Amino acid sequence: MSEPQADLVTVKVDEREIQVPKGTGMVETAAAAGIEIPVFCYEPRLGPPVGACRMCLVEVEGMPKLQAGCTLTAQDGMVVKTARTSDQAAEGQNATLEFILVNHPLDCPVCDKGGECPLQDLTFRYGPGNTRMRFPKRTMEKPIPISPLIALDRERCILCYRCTRFSESVAEDGQLVAINRGASSVIATFEDEPYKGHFSGNVTEICPVGALTSTQYRFEARPWEIQNVPTVCGLCPVGCNITATTREGKVKRVLSRNHPEVDEGWLCDKGRYAFDHLEARDRITTPLRKRGLRRFEASSWEDAIDEVERLLRESGTTTATALSGGESVEEAYALAKILRQGLGAHNAVLPETPSQLGGSPLSAIRGTKTIAVLSDVPVVERAPIVDLWIKAARRSGATVSYGVPTGAVGALITDDAAKAAGIVAEHVYVLPFTPNGRGVADAWSAAGDEEPVDEKQRVLIISGDEAATDPSVRALAAEAETVIGIGMFEESFRGIADLVLPGTSYLERDGTTVNLEGRLQRQRRAVVAPVPDVLAWLSKLGERFDVELSPHASVLFDEVSERCYGGVTYAELGEHATLPPLAAEAQTPRLSVDSTQTQGQAERSPGLRLVAYRPLFSGAAVERTPELAFQRPDPVVELSREDAQTRGIRNSQTVTVSSNGTSLELRAQVARDLLPGAVRIARDHAGDLHPTVEVRP
Amino acid sequence: MAPDIVLENATTELAEYEATGGYAALAKARAMTPEAVTEDLITSELRGRGGAFFPAGRKWSFVPSKEQLPKPHYLVVNADESEPGSFKDNEILSRVPHRFIEGCLITAHAIDSQHVFVYIRGEYSGPYEILVGALEELKDRPDIRGDVTIVVHRGAGAYICGEETALLESLEGKRGQPRSKPPFPAISGLYASPTVVNNVETITTVPPVIAMGGAEYASLGVPNTRGSRVVSLSGNVVHGGNYEIEPGMSIKDIVYSLGGGIPDGRELKAVVPGGSSTVILTKGEIDVGYDFDSLAQVHTAMGSAGIVVLDDRCCIVQLGIRWSEFYEHESCGKCTPCREGTRWLTAILRKLEDGRATQGDLDLLLSVCDRINGKCLCPLGDSDAIIIASYVAKFRDEFQAHIDNGACPFGGESSLDGVLAPIQMHTHSPVAEVPA
Amino acid sequence: MTGVGSTEPAGSAGAGFPGAEAENSLYEAIQEERAKYPDDSRSAVLPALRLAQGQHGWLSPDALREVAEALELTPAYCKSVASFYDQLHLAPVGEHLVEVCTNVSCAVVGAQRVVEAFESELGCRAGETSDDGKVTLRAVECLGGCGWATIVAVDHHYRTHVSAEHVPAIVEELRGA
Ligand SMILES: Cc1cc2nc3c(=O)[nH]c(=O)nc-3n(C[C@H](O)[C@H](O)[C@H](O)COP(=O)(O)O)c2cc1C
Ligand code: SF4
Ligand code: FES
Repeated sequence: MSEPQADLVTVKVDEREIQVPKGTGMVETAAAAGIEIPVFCYEPRLGPPVGACRMCLVEVEGMPKLQAGCTLTAQDGMVVKTARTSDQAAEGQNATLEFILVNHPLDCPVCDKGGECPLQDLTFRYGPGNTRMRFPKRTMEKPIPISPLIALDRERCILCYRCTRFSESVAEDGQLVAINRGASSVIATFEDEPYKGHFSGNVTEICPVGALTSTQYRFEARPWEIQNVPTVCGLCPVGCNITATTREGKVKRVLSRNHPEVDEGWLCDKGRYAFDHLEARDRITTPLRKRGLRRFEASSWEDAIDEVERLLRESGTTTATALSGGESVEEAYALAKILRQGLGAHNAVLPETPSQLGGSPLSAIRGTKTIAVLSDVPVVERAPIVDLWIKAARRSGATVSYGVPTGAVGALITDDAAKAAGIVAEHVYVLPFTPNGRGVADAWSAAGDEEPVDEKQRVLIISGDEAATDPSVRALAAEAETVIGIGMFEESFRGIADLVLPGTSYLERDGTTVNLEGRLQRQRRAVVAPVPDVLAWLSKLGERFDVELSPHASVLFDEVSERCYGGVTYAELGEHATLPPLAAEAQTPRLSVDSTQTQGQAERSPGLRLVAYRPLFSGAAVERTPELAFQRPDPVVELSREDAQTRGIRNSQTVTVSSNGTSLELRAQVARDLLPGAVRIARDHAGDLHPTVEVRP
Repeated sequence: MAPDIVLENATTELAEYEATGGYAALAKARAMTPEAVTEDLITSELRGRGGAFFPAGRKWSFVPSKEQLPKPHYLVVNADESEPGSFKDNEILSRVPHRFIEGCLITAHAIDSQHVFVYIRGEYSGPYEILVGALEELKDRPDIRGDVTIVVHRGAGAYICGEETALLESLEGKRGQPRSKPPFPAISGLYASPTVVNNVETITTVPPVIAMGGAEYASLGVPNTRGSRVVSLSGNVVHGGNYEIEPGMSIKDIVYSLGGGIPDGRELKAVVPGGSSTVILTKGEIDVGYDFDSLAQVHTAMGSAGIVVLDDRCCIVQLGIRWSEFYEHESCGKCTPCREGTRWLTAILRKLEDGRATQGDLDLLLSVCDRINGKCLCPLGDSDAIIIASYVAKFRDEFQAHIDNGACPFGGESSLDGVLAPIQMHTHSPVAEVPA
Repeated sequence: MTGVGSTEPAGSAGAGFPGAEAENSLYEAIQEERAKYPDDSRSAVLPALRLAQGQHGWLSPDALREVAEALELTPAYCKSVASFYDQLHLAPVGEHLVEVCTNVSCAVVGAQRVVEAFESELGCRAGETSDDGKVTLRAVECLGGCGWATIVAVDHHYRTHVSAEHVPAIVEELRGA
């Protein structure tokens, strides 16, 4: 997009002259001149500045009073002085800190934020050295759980309103609010109900003091004891950039690592909190062999690899592989290379047909004026951050429509590439439902391009827990003579696999992943897995079939890249990966996998089409993070305003949803993003309902 | 002497109002172009009556045309009147509701607005009912209403909602916390659209201005303060009430001639000239004209024209406490210096009143005032700091006596002794708080 | 000029807000308010809270939920707004509400004595409700009737020139009603 070049203006900050586009915020203007204006409430990602905390006071020539730097914008000839050169500004900042500290408990030694706390930092630099406040401080009950994930210490709160602004105008969930007025104001949820929302954890990160902290991290580590590993989340197709904080070889927390084109520094609660699955009780730590119907026994690695070799030799070209779409490009490639080049087994079952549409950064959504969303599944449940970009666009004036648009649109967001046909859109985003479906498909195709043989499949390899728990894969497993699994959790493979080899998590591996934009990103090993690296044993297995396989992700990646990614090398993928331009010739050979599109445009039958979607807070990792249980969707049926009206249904009323013989009582919720004719229920609550339902008050 | 402009021919009845020439100014205005109406207002030199004293016609002229900015225009009338000592809008709405409505309609014409919102403080049930009754009378008078809808929106008890941007937030269904300016409401106000916010009295003055012509209105009063002003007189005065005066009349005359002086044979101690938020005048300072320039010379202002008379039984430290408690209670809680500073000021003042304070505490009091003043987002917090500093400046001996005697020199006989401020009853607060 | 702010008490309006005795349900009454404001705005929140309080007497969690549902907002949002305003009650109040202005103009002519008279007459402190649940007493900030001090709002309608001697009659009136 070509922004019109704004007028440049010249501003003087602390004697330094600087040119910036007219209207640039003074905090940014000063920063461009290399000067810090301290802030608390200012956070441009939360919307327009509010000027609440008064930490950013500066002196402006010609203005009698100090001005809030955060709300001030650069005008030509403006002369600004910060605390560095203005006694008045220094006094103002000192005053603000004195007021903030008047009621602050100063319990830094026992505060999780200690050492990473902007209030400590700014007090150190600008604050008063002693206190003149001789009255008892305001005391409050603390800490208060505002959800199983977040604790609130109201005494430490400096009422910068960052968290409530996040809830109000980024997540738009209206859950975390300020209650009362003046000095009695406190942050709260409704009647101490948990802050339930896809993005709640972000408030712990934007809180500039230790008021909102993560219960998982509470008293777990001091900042000087930790290591922060930059990596990429592997739990959905967005691929948010994260930092995994580790201490003594364990992941202690996940923080965002702002990639302005991908996530703008926000994470969903799944990505932030589900790392507990690394420590799951049913984690597979040795190879397992089936014993009896639903039990496994441990096996040695030598025996297991021998067994796999034997089975694969027998099955040869009739081996099929079901992939999860959560593997790294390298894991998928290593597996593919053994199967395709070592065995001539070309039959792969992918969880979805990855689309090659795209090529635009997610951040482009915000810049558009018209957005069409063609998705049965709520966007937030499949690619949460995309929902934040849509909301951001709407807040800056974009219109968002949910039917097939009549004309060209700025951005098209769809859960199915087929729906994009015939629509003219500047930016297209197809939402896959696996984190690395694209990369896995690329990897598979990079290892060979022959067609699978048309024979009954004897051995089925199931790669990953997501595939193992997928009903259609389980159906295939029932057909196969033998099933070999690769995965993390016993529960996923119980009853279907004959042999299981331990898998690893995205937090335990080096490798690459391709997100829904088509962006190649590097994942780094944050902690050492309790099991051997998958690439290490695959490389050994490869030897048995004379397939040359490096155990190093970098080498494997470069092989894939030569075929699929224009030869970009592993080393070239930076900390903040750029989005490769969508080269027409880069359309690598695609897989011939049956498209299982259940499109069937809603025939105008008398009933309502039921969309039973898979919620974000589901799946193997979430199930193994007890703190996330409360985030599972409520038993509600969403319906369009029109359908609600014609049926005399009010928002929040209890209704009966029925289809042939079954019926359920659910709470009705009027949803703006639903077209008439369809209703939506999270899969967990949809019971045995058929695809066509009726809803009655 | 006292011109009857705003409160002239008071009636709540439409028929009576029309019989005395009501709604004729509206007809006259509608025959003029919007620009001409605005021009006449500029000529009249009418300035806002809500406190900031901004020229009304100029404010209207800031509204961009609909070609420049294709959005609806809004007129929002500020009937939140919550400034302690001020109750003129109460009387205006109750006695001349149709003149007020006529003012709304003329102003709407001038700024090309079809939507008027009257934000009336929630406590004003009486005036609300009268206003709604008057609007009801216009139901079948499309000739008067034109294409304008007037919605009366009731507040629910928050002084800060009188501040125009807080008012807009409240009207938009939010917590009434001020916005930072710019953008100013004229460009981006209600629903981010061009909006004029005017006080009830300002609006009610519009019909007479149009009727008599701006030039004639500007011939009344004194330079910089033209026409008439409805002042609210209260406190230790024989005849409290509202009086429409010609600017320039001295405060002394207002208190003694109109107000009948101090009751109970007491002595005058001080006068607060324009509501709680204005700098206090000692009894020696009240021979001053009630107009912008004259009051500016003694470093104070007309504010909302609420004159509070205090007799010699008033302990000035207690006055500081009571109003500091008011500001603490009414602070919206958005900006740090106001939220924390007003609370701190109250605490220090209380220590002084209790006779526990040292010399250092008096210095601290002034220092905290200094650290609040000019640092807040809106004028509320600043006001507390300014008035407390003015009490110390003008009654330093009395503050000193509290320190030197180790007790209040009034010995429990002050007129403000032991008065219960709302901030002291926190029983309905949903959050357990251990008060300092 | 006289005190025109003193509209006489409107029958048995009660401590909530008058005007919500509905043939209409709360939900519909709120939709009517909503129609007065632009579509996407939240302007109807205050009117809706006022209506809900009129019907429930106070803004209980359930009342807040009802408002939220009628306006498609969250209960937390509604509570956040409600808690900002002094006239909206987040705790139960008596059948009647007596609010005594104790700001300066009223205080210097004896508002505190009026408060104390109510306290002894009702047997409860300001901020509390009488034991029989009839009357909640509050001290409030300036009511905007300063020249006619002391101002007491009884069920939202102003009484002017109230002094301690008037208090027993007012209480009797409320207890009788
Ligand atoms: C804390 C505060 C409270 C205010 N309260 C009122 C009020 O109750 N009524 C009013 O008209 N203006 C009030 N104002 C002034 C308004 O912000 C605004 O200037 C005024 O409504 C503009 O109208 P005018 O130009 O007609 O005076 C208040 C200002 C502040 C800072
Ligand atoms: S000065 Fe007080 S009332 Fe004004 S914004 Fe700041 S906190 Fe709110
Ligand atoms: S001081 Fe009591 S009504 Fe104003």
